[in-house]
Amino acid sequence: MPAYIGDAGDSPAPADPSSSVPGSGLRSAMAPARAAGRAGAVAALALLWLLVCGPGDSGCHLLTVADLFDRVIRHSGRIHSLSTTLYAELEKHFPPRDNELGKPARKCHTSGMLTPNGKEYAQKIPREELTHLILKLLQAWKEPLSHFNQHIEHHQELPDDSLSKAKQISNMVHELKTGVEKVTEKMQSMGIISNSLNGMASSEGTGLSISNEANMMSDSDFIHCFRRDSNKVQSYLKILKCRIMPENSC
Amino acid sequence: MKQRFISSVQIILQLALTTAGLTGQSYPGKPKIIRCRSLEKETFSCWWKPGSDGGLPTNYTLFYSKDSEEKIYECPDYQASGPNSCYFDKNHTNPWTTYIITVMATNEIGSNSSDPQYVDVTSIVQPDAPVNLSLETKTSASITYLWAKWSPPPLAAVSSNSHVYHYELRLKPEEKEEWETISVGLQTHYKVTGLQAGVKYIVQVRCMLDLGEWSEWSSERNIQIPNGESPPEKPTIIKCRSPEKETFTCWWKPGSDGGHHINHTLLYSKEGEEKVYECPDYKTAGPNSCYFDKKHTSFWTIYNITVRATNEMGSNVSDPHYVDVTYIVQPDPPVNITLELKKSVNRKPYLVLTWSPPPLADVRSGWLTLEYELRLKPEEGEEWETIFVGQQTQCKMFSLNPGKRYIVQIHCKPDHHGSWSEWSPEMYIQIPTDFRVKDMVVWIIVGVLSSLICLIMSWTMILKGYRMMAFILPPVPGPKIKGIDKHLLETGKSEELLSALGCHGFPPTSDCDELLIEYLEVEDSEDQQLMPSHDNPSKNMKMIPKETDSDSGRGSCDSPSLLSEKCREPRALPSALQTQDVRAVQENKGAKRSWETQCIASEQEALLFNNESTKSSTWPAVQLLPNNQLPVFAYHSTVEAHTIMLSTTNVNISSVLVGNEEKHQSRYPVAEAVHDNMEKQREMEYSTTEQTTVQVKQNRHNDKSPFLNPKLMDYVEVHKVRQDEEPTVLLKHKDNNGKTEKYTVPGTSKEYTKVSTVVDHNILVLMPDSRIQHTPVSQEPAMETSQNLQQGQAEKNMSYCLTAPSDCKRETSGSEYMDPSSFMPSFK
Repeated sequence: MPAYIGDAGDSPAPADPSSSVPGSGLRSAMAPARAAGRAGAVAALALLWLLVCGPGDSGCHLLTVADLFDRVIRHSGRIHSLSTTLYAELEKHFPPRDNELGKPARKCHTSGMLTPNGKEYAQKIPREELTHLILKLLQAWKEPLSHFNQHIEHHQELPDDSLSKAKQISNMVHELKTGVEKVTEKMQSMGIISNSLNGMASSEGTGLSISNEANMMSDSDFIHCFRRDSNKVQSYLKILKCRIMPENSC
Repeated sequence: MKQRFISSVQIILQLALTTAGLTGQSYPGKPKIIRCRSLEKETFSCWWKPGSDGGLPTNYTLFYSKDSEEKIYECPDYQASGPNSCYFDKNHTNPWTTYIITVMATNEIGSNSSDPQYVDVTSIVQPDAPVNLSLETKTSASITYLWAKWSPPPLAAVSSNSHVYHYELRLKPEEKEEWETISVGLQTHYKVTGLQAGVKYIVQVRCMLDLGEWSEWSSERNIQIPNGESPPEKPTIIKCRSPEKETFTCWWKPGSDGGHHINHTLLYSKEGEEKVYECPDYKTAGPNSCYFDKKHTSFWTIYNITVRATNEMGSNVSDPHYVDVTYIVQPDPPVNITLELKKSVNRKPYLVLTWSPPPLADVRSGWLTLEYELRLKPEEGEEWETIFVGQQTQCKMFSLNPGKRYIVQIHCKPDHHGSWSEWSPEMYIQIPTDFRVKDMVVWIIVGVLSSLICLIMSWTMILKGYRMMAFILPPVPGPKIKGIDKHLLETGKSEELLSALGCHGFPPTSDCDELLIEYLEVEDSEDQQLMPSHDNPSKNMKMIPKETDSDSGRGSCDSPSLLSEKCREPRALPSALQTQDVRAVQENKGAKRSWETQCIASEQEALLFNNESTKSSTWPAVQLLPNNQLPVFAYHSTVEAHTIMLSTTNVNISSVLVGNEEKHQSRYPVAEAVHDNMEKQREMEYSTTEQTTVQVKQNRHNDKSPFLNPKLMDYVEVHKVRQDEEPTVLLKHKDNNGKTEKYTVPGTSKEYTKVSTVVDHNILVLMPDSRIQHTPVSQEPAMETSQNLQQGQAEKNMSYCLTAPSDCKRETSGSEYMDPSSFMPSFK
């Protein structure tokens, strides 16, 4: 993982050597890609890489942690908006059989993860843990999103717009994860948080098992869950930022 | 399978039938008129049932005739009452006629007519059923009753809503067969009592016009008559809201109580949990609500909330309400809104809005991020302008209309989820009027005004022509003008002119008199160096010069002093008295003893005139003028024509000034001559007469000075100051005319406003003048005396009065060239 972070400036393809499945998923998603979506995604990716460039980068060393936080928060906000739109679109095409919120069967594959469910809890848990939670959440969605992209391509009735949204979401989650890792690295280098995070990286295996569960969900449930987690991620990022830098527009 | 078989059989049958039809097409079957019906006696409709179509498309035609006539009409309207119907509107409906109606079905082969239907409109009236029946149970004085309300049947023709319907209501318990029918009457509501509690009733109403049939029964309405035994209706959860993304509250609306007290219980379960919890706090958020505090609020989980209403008889549960707290965040409106007007560099005002997030929202933690939107409009405006501000808590508004009062409101919402808060209370801000706009207005006004003035100016210029020119550029004095005056006098137009100019009440008349004198004298001097005036002793103007001449009064400088001494007491009316005295002397030709008395007399006169001066001035010019003029003419007759001319000039407006100037110039030389004489001879004999002259002249000067001052300013120098009996200043006038009166001797505080005499053509002898105003007044009487010694004082007064107007005219003539205001003060 640290090695990967160090390679931040490289192309995104080897970005996730620890998990070959997400990487291939991304590739497979991109291979048959419709041109527009792909171009947009690549552009966004490149942009993020430019923004969150490595410490060795002479043009980037001025980026503060606050700046990075603002970017990842904005990024997560965009992801949340996208997923909200996509969820509405999916609902339109695949109406839920009963009250959408009341479906007892709905269970997100990430609901097993213990995440703070309120402000005070989120403020209490250690920063490292919160950071780790964010990364874990993102990681838990990377692979299922890739699968989801492959899956919904078979839905001919879905408009291209929705498909490209799904693709965009998938890419953006990847970018966001990279960005958060960048911030984490920076915070660690600055001593804001301890390096204990490295020890937690091992939990990524659980992400794998979770993703299988995710494949069992219906499309709209899947996006519903993702939307919720994207909101979680954004909220945690905001809390984290304001905990670390309370003076910065908090 | 069976169905399919049946349908296929049907198709086969139909095919067979149609083939039969094809082979044997026929007339259409006979249609049948089913019914005719009038809703309200004013229109009616008939419906028919088509017969067999004979295998071809069939047209239906309705014909009708009236029993009173033979003519057959066709249906006026096939559409309004639907297919296979005919609608007779108001114009085609006659309640006193029987209609004979037949329907004819026609196809290609032939036609077939129905049996005729005889229709009497009044007998087929049947209104539609009443509508909008509503039921409710009410309880008064512990008696429960049913309150039914409905509306009369709607009519196609809105105009005919004046119909009176009778209503009937029927009801029965749901499970029973027999209806209980109640005659309601004309009302559209009814109160049913004596109903069984706890029973569900079915209610219907119908109506009828005063004749005809009852309408159909209206649609059924059910109502549960409550009793204490029934469980409450199920409540409804209205909404759930989290004001700060930390806690939330849900509200519900209770259903009808069953006449008993209801207990409400809120139960909830969270997503993924089986356990059902009860509301942690019913009180905090008020009645019928449940407050979930921080401990009980989790995010990213769905709450399944139900409310159970329970009474003694049982309970009822609301529909479940699912809540994800993240998405029910609705903050309170922003607070601490301040509006501030600031001026930018270019002085344009702009509005700075600042606000704070709602106090409950903890935005600093990052847990809740708020976005703001503000809206504003001019107070009288209709449409709001909405501006999304984002996460800032301040906003600058440019391009606001100056001079308008704006209403501003702000609301906020969490980013990405939740809903907008209420709008904050309205804030008002008055945008000041743009200064530059104000300036513009001022400039526009100024421009308009100035252009207006210019317009008026040019207009008057055109109207008045040379007058204006003369006013701006005073004409160079020239002798020609006298001639014009003469003409005017001769034609007698001068009077009119004068009267037209009307100077009533303007400067005191006496002053004018003096002016007159002056003019005359000047004329004389100019023309004849005092000699012509000789012949006119009785008249003021003539008299003066004459005296100087006759008495060779060229030099007596002492005479004024003498006079003054003698009239010390009368001095209150100073120079005037003196002149009077002098006049008196003139009259009596050196009878010095009479001086004293004369002096007194004149004083009296003067007093009188003073008192009446104002009146005299206001006397009508026309009346006075003739009297005055007559003597003038008389004198003039004896004198040379030139003199007459002068006098006329005096009267004449336009030429007066010029005349004056000329006269001045000419006169001063005379005065000089006198002075010379005085100096050389120093004889007392002359002094008296001399003095008269001087005084008159002085008076003239006084009067003139205002006129001439502006024009001839620099022609006087103090020649000599005598301190004989009376301090007098000798003024020498230079090339220009002498305008000397105002010089003062430094040593004495007196004002040397009175010309004592004129010497050597360019030296004026000045003596202190007490009050100028008196002079003219007294001078008049003097003149009078000189004219008619016999005349009583009253007469004198009269004559004075008469002279006054003429003087005035002269003044007005002068005023043509001068600003009256410039000489007004000098007169006083």
